[in-house]
Amino acid sequence: MSAASSSSVAPAPLLLLLRANGTQMWRRLNTLHEQSGLLTWVIALFIVGYFALAFALFYHGLSFIAKFPAFGALLVERLMFLLFAFLFAMLLLSNLVIGYTNLFRNRETGFLWTLPVPAQTIFRWKFIETALLASWAFLFLISPLLLAYGLTQRVPWHFYMVAPLMVALFIILPSVIGTSLAINLARYIDRRSFQVITVTLVCAALAITAWWLKPQALADDSTETRVIAVIDRLLDRTRLAQFAFLPSYWLTSAVLNWGEGALRAAVFFVTVLLSNVLLLGFLSFTGLGDPFYEAASMVQSRGGVLGRWVWLRRRRERRGAFDYPIGRAEKFFAWFRWLGPDERAVLVKDTRMFWRDTTQWGQTLMLFGLLGVYILNLRHFTQQVTLPFWVHLISYLNLGACSLNLATLTTRFVYPQFSLEGRRLWIVGMSPLGMPRVLKLKFWLATWASLVVMLGLIWLSCHLIDMPWRQTLVFSAAVAVMTFTLNALAVGIGALYPNFREENPGKIVSGFGGTLCLVLSFVYILASVVMLAVGSPWSRVAFRLEALRVASWVGFVALSFVLGWLPFRAGMRRVAKLEM
Amino acid sequence: MIELIHLTKRFGDLVAVNDLSLTVNRGEFFAVLGPNAAGKTTTIKILTGLIKPTSGAARVAGFDIQVEPLDARRRMAFVPDFPFLYDKLTPWEMIRFTGQMFRMGDARIETAARELVARFGLGEFLAKPIDSLSHGTRQRVAIVAALLHDPEVIVLDEPMVGLDPHHSRVVKDILKERSQRGATVFVSTHQLSVAEEMADRIGIIHQGRLIAVGTHDELRRQSGANGALEQSFLALTAEEATLSETVVEKS
Repeated sequence: MSAASSSSVAPAPLLLLLRANGTQMWRRLNTLHEQSGLLTWVIALFIVGYFALAFALFYHGLSFIAKFPAFGALLVERLMFLLFAFLFAMLLLSNLVIGYTNLFRNRETGFLWTLPVPAQTIFRWKFIETALLASWAFLFLISPLLLAYGLTQRVPWHFYMVAPLMVALFIILPSVIGTSLAINLARYIDRRSFQVITVTLVCAALAITAWWLKPQALADDSTETRVIAVIDRLLDRTRLAQFAFLPSYWLTSAVLNWGEGALRAAVFFVTVLLSNVLLLGFLSFTGLGDPFYEAASMVQSRGGVLGRWVWLRRRRERRGAFDYPIGRAEKFFAWFRWLGPDERAVLVKDTRMFWRDTTQWGQTLMLFGLLGVYILNLRHFTQQVTLPFWVHLISYLNLGACSLNLATLTTRFVYPQFSLEGRRLWIVGMSPLGMPRVLKLKFWLATWASLVVMLGLIWLSCHLIDMPWRQTLVFSAAVAVMTFTLNALAVGIGALYPNFREENPGKIVSGFGGTLCLVLSFVYILASVVMLAVGSPWSRVAFRLEALRVASWVGFVALSFVLGWLPFRAGMRRVAKLEM
Repeated sequence: MIELIHLTKRFGDLVAVNDLSLTVNRGEFFAVLGPNAAGKTTTIKILTGLIKPTSGAARVAGFDIQVEPLDARRRMAFVPDFPFLYDKLTPWEMIRFTGQMFRMGDARIETAARELVARFGLGEFLAKPIDSLSHGTRQRVAIVAALLHDPEVIVLDEPMVGLDPHHSRVVKDILKERSQRGATVFVSTHQLSVAEEMADRIGIIHQGRLIAVGTHDELRRQSGANGALEQSFLALTAEEATLSETVVEKS
């Protein structure tokens, strides 16, 4: 017996970690491909479709703005500053949240602490992992934008070579700041407080931003005469994005200058980015290992933060002995007298679990909050948007936005429900209730809860653009059908492709079934909105026939049936035959 | 050897480990028993460096786990009750990965792995992805990976969970052999039979304190209960619980 001797053969621990996790990732992708070649093609097509669509939108948007008399170039420039500033804020938040989970709530980290690996090396690996996890969506979003910008501005060829380098440098900064913040926050607050504070801060930031950047209401007669004043106000309001110490400012300045051929200025900003990356990267790669270990130990050692407040402790003590109370959720579901007690018990359990999981309601709140802010801002357009075509274009875009939001939530939270229930088969699955009824209950609970929110949002958006009640009813019907379909699809595919091994719903979603559910949901929404819009009496299709309107609704309902009812029924059948 | 010196760990108001001192000698097989939430796992977490003690120190093979963590971990193996394994790697890749993390060369990894793989009957599973293996097989993979570098100190938390009788026997035999060869084995378990059969000394932790320590005979004398270890354990923990309640009532 001896301490393991050093050997030149064994690679460095960081390299080993990169290799092991790289192999894992590669095999996951291969498994996805092996499970269904068709799905791989669907995903590939989806990605290509996204790139084409995003590029077209950015290209036409930038071209449109660039043509604005006298101010085109200025507006494009400000738009780029604003966009990168928002993306920087989102990257920062994303790194903070993912960093906290990845550093402190991750089983691999716990395992690594027991190996003879320096804390600094563990931190380095977790930092790299966090940066990749938090930034891939940013890269996905930014590539078509940069390409569109390059083509509209006719930039030199070397712009396309340098832009990826600039972006690569840029994403390191929010990662360094986000993970450092996560480590420092973890030292002072526990997980639940962290989640509550993060959600509160994000909601507050959204509200402030929505208020600060709200569209300016203008009277028709003033739009012609006060353009300069309005643009001046707009530029003033968005000046914050040009704060010289923001990393997004350095990146945007580098991109814009390089695009314009002002290479000396561009190189300056690239150098600013590089020097900051080197400095902060060096500090975090050499100095955050020990604070990380301290924070990790504290996260596992902390009693509830609220428990430290004396008044709260006294209040708890005054409560006395546990008196077997009936909770609010139980009282609420007691109104549903037509349901059996076992069915009500499942509904109460699911409601409580949703409420007590900050991640679930936090993300739901953020997504719908963002949508709500957008819809509330629609009231400022009412005075300008008077033509029925524009009113209905906006309302179809609203329908698409609401449904995409819902699809994200059904895939993220409804799809993994059955897989998670599978781990509790010993109680729910073995009860006289039976799994098919459990599945139905999950479907109805998710559907009714989301229907209330969706109908509320659609009604509000229709009301704010003064849409006649008949059209409001049509949109409400469409959104109701889509809500039923998306929930049925998520529940059905969740039952068809369960993952009983995984405890983390996020990881369940990232598998084959979750990807299929997301892709099918998006395809369904795109097809439905296009179908309904083409068939609407306000579309610009040359032959506006009543038959076309009927056909579009028949097609929409048929598609909803195929993508909602069929997966749900297949899921029910599978569950009925499931061998526990 | 393992030294726990006046170890205390608080979680807010709760004292999970209370002034615990203990020495487990080189070559000794030590079993820790205790009711649920007694502080066993917290003690192990401090011992392995997963958390810092509020006060006191833990030393592994002469190295303070907080001051010289790498030296201590290099000489230690830890197998938790639900070990982490990379799901998409094969057992052989996982074993190699762990060996390399302990800076072992390929030849040494292969020699050590061959013997352990054969004894644990893992040969047929070596090339299969870990996520396709049963819980017991995964547990065996974790134990092989942990023992590969021939550690001086072996710490295990409920090592027999999920193992069939045959492989439980293999684990017991290997641990006994290792302890006879000079390794210090520290096992936390609820299976009193494991402690009774294997341990040179047994410690009982209750409400964060080490309330009894000694050989089976010494515990029997201390508790005044004759017969199996179960009687001694129940008598000692019941006695301690009564004592605690009296103290609380008086205070």
